[in-house]
Amino acid sequence: MTNIVEVHDLRKQYGEFEAVKGLNFVINRGEIFGFLGPNGAGKTTTISMLSTLLPPTGGAATVCSFDLVRQPGEIKKRIGLVPQELALYPTLSARDNLEFFGSIYGLRGKELRERVNWTLELVGLADRAKDRIDQYSGGMKRRINIAAGLLHRPEILFLDEPTVGVDPQSRNHIFDNVERLNKEGLTILYTTHYMEEAERLCDRVAIVDQGRIIALDTPKALIDSLGGGIIHLGVNGKGEAVAEQARLLAAVKSIRRLDGMVEIETRRAQEALVGVLEVANRLDANVTSLEILKPNLETVFLHLTGKTLRD
Amino acid sequence: MLYQILSITLKDLKVLFKDRGGIVVLFLMPAMFILVMTNALGGVFDTGGSNNPTPLLVVNLDTGELAAEAIADLGTVDGLKIETSYDGETVTRELAEGLIRDGERRVAIVFPADFSSRILARATDPDAPAAVVAFIADPAAGAQFLGPVQGAVQGFILRTASYAQAPGQIGIAFEDMAAEADSQAAPFIAQIGEAFVERLENGDGLGGEVTESPVTFETVAPADFKVEQFPNAAQQNVPGYTLFGVFFIAQVLGISILREKQEGTFRRLLIAPVPRAALLIGKLLPYYLVNLIQVALMFAVGVIVFGMTLGNDWMALIVITLAASAASTGLGLLVASVGRTPEQIGGLSSLLVITLAALGGVMVPSFVMPPFMQTLSKISPHAWALAGYQDVIVRGLDTMAVMPEVGALLLFAAAFFGVAVWKFRFE
Repeated sequence: MTNIVEVHDLRKQYGEFEAVKGLNFVINRGEIFGFLGPNGAGKTTTISMLSTLLPPTGGAATVCSFDLVRQPGEIKKRIGLVPQELALYPTLSARDNLEFFGSIYGLRGKELRERVNWTLELVGLADRAKDRIDQYSGGMKRRINIAAGLLHRPEILFLDEPTVGVDPQSRNHIFDNVERLNKEGLTILYTTHYMEEAERLCDRVAIVDQGRIIALDTPKALIDSLGGGIIHLGVNGKGEAVAEQARLLAAVKSIRRLDGMVEIETRRAQEALVGVLEVANRLDANVTSLEILKPNLETVFLHLTGKTLRD
Repeated sequence: MLYQILSITLKDLKVLFKDRGGIVVLFLMPAMFILVMTNALGGVFDTGGSNNPTPLLVVNLDTGELAAEAIADLGTVDGLKIETSYDGETVTRELAEGLIRDGERRVAIVFPADFSSRILARATDPDAPAAVVAFIADPAAGAQFLGPVQGAVQGFILRTASYAQAPGQIGIAFEDMAAEADSQAAPFIAQIGEAFVERLENGDGLGGEVTESPVTFETVAPADFKVEQFPNAAQQNVPGYTLFGVFFIAQVLGISILREKQEGTFRRLLIAPVPRAALLIGKLLPYYLVNLIQVALMFAVGVIVFGMTLGNDWMALIVITLAASAASTGLGLLVASVGRTPEQIGGLSSLLVITLAALGGVMVPSFVMPPFMQTLSKISPHAWALAGYQDVIVRGLDTMAVMPEVGALLLFAAAFFGVAVWKFRFE
């Protein structure tokens, strides 16, 4: 499998603020690579650099085997970008929008019409092609937004939070489109802060926080790394003693103390829960709260950063 | 690259013509200004000319003939329209005052009943009371309007009075000469005097061929000066407010570029394999074309509605339009480069466009400005463009004669584009 994107120590600094702090990753040709992280994690900045919109302030990267800094023109021909915002002309029809965006990639005549028709069919809006964009629902706009990034048959598509503000029907439509395009061979870099999307769509996921990749693997491997899930136990007073004894349980993988709380990473959640409660009972500790977090990418992010994806 | 430029141009024209607000600003606004201001200010620009003479109400109470002679003389003045009756009614002092109060007329003169008798009495008796002609004027009319009217009226009345007094005064002169002459010559001098006075009283004049006026005046400029000719209301307002609309493109263009950036479409354009020069040219070209359409339409309004003539050299008008449009789109790009919000762009473009228009003589003609303002107006591209248009349509000059104005406009365009491209953020 060849790499379509290779990133080495990529950095972006705005004055004193470093938005991207030395990223290293590769994207394999034909995979859906997820960038999962909260707002402000540096996902859009990274996509902007990889799509040649922003010059990096450090590091290096190649996209489609072309150097990001020295060969931006070659990269532009081979990538498609679906920006987070609805980058469309609201007073023009969907067809006018798509014909324009196709034409600036040099498509014209029959080829342009065929590509526009293909993308309209793909996103399921061929029957609304003549309607103005500002008469579309939010989900329909998102679908045309994606279509506009596909007209020139890019080798890799950067999808930046494509489902923000989208109704469930359009969201499923977008998921189906992403999966279909990927099956047809399109490589996709998919940024999101919805862990369900990353779990469902992505072959591999990089979890990003504060400009750094803090974990990178397949969703399954990332989730499995949590074992049986996480237990948050609020204990009044004897937290240290509870943590010490619970650490000895076979179903417990690791324990750490968080602000008046014990976080227990388990191998088997139910068995660990029974054991931990027995320990608390035996030590006569006052349990003030109990939360069991099923293992998923959200829990992984929480475990790694101590905060939720929506923080 | 050309195909991409045309694609962007076509797209922007589509977007622009679907924006009713933009169309109103670019086409309807200057057209309305032209229609309203040309009609409203027609009196200011044309009053006093032969095409639009100033109405002068005349009340003649004189029991003699001199007032009638003075009125007949005033009737020959170009730029004055003598009205001794109004709506079929003889003008009286009360009627004249009422018409002035109602704003129907602005000035009237009243010849008193003893006008002739006092003038004639004064010819032989320096101590006799002078005739008093009342000059009734609307206080709001202003000295600029009243001064020339009053001057013309005074001049003609004094001429009539002088002619009327001449026989009496000449008779006295001959009597004085006869009294001082010896006894042999005195009767002869008195006889000549009587004959001379009789001839004058019969209206036979002083002899020789009678001419209308021994003196005429012409207005000339120094040899190295351009011949000055002032525009009428249409020649001032049509090109003036056309330029106002042309430069308003700065606001529409600025907001269009900002909107592209805010809505993210600019990002799409930037990641497409389109050279940045093509991006800017494609973005500016539709507005440049709109400028050309604006000028054509507004001048058509001037020609069709106001009968404005376009001079003798179409090419000169085209060259000025091309240069003025370059300056206006350059200003639009400059505004887009420095403004970061729609409010900033709206405020900045309005400030620039309105100030430069006022300074450039669009709202107040530069020929009525004080000298330092006329000098200051040179920093406005509107001033150069308006001067260029008026050179062609008012003074009948040709393409070569407007090259200084065209050159100045191209310098403005180069300066605007230079700073704009320097400041423009491709992000």
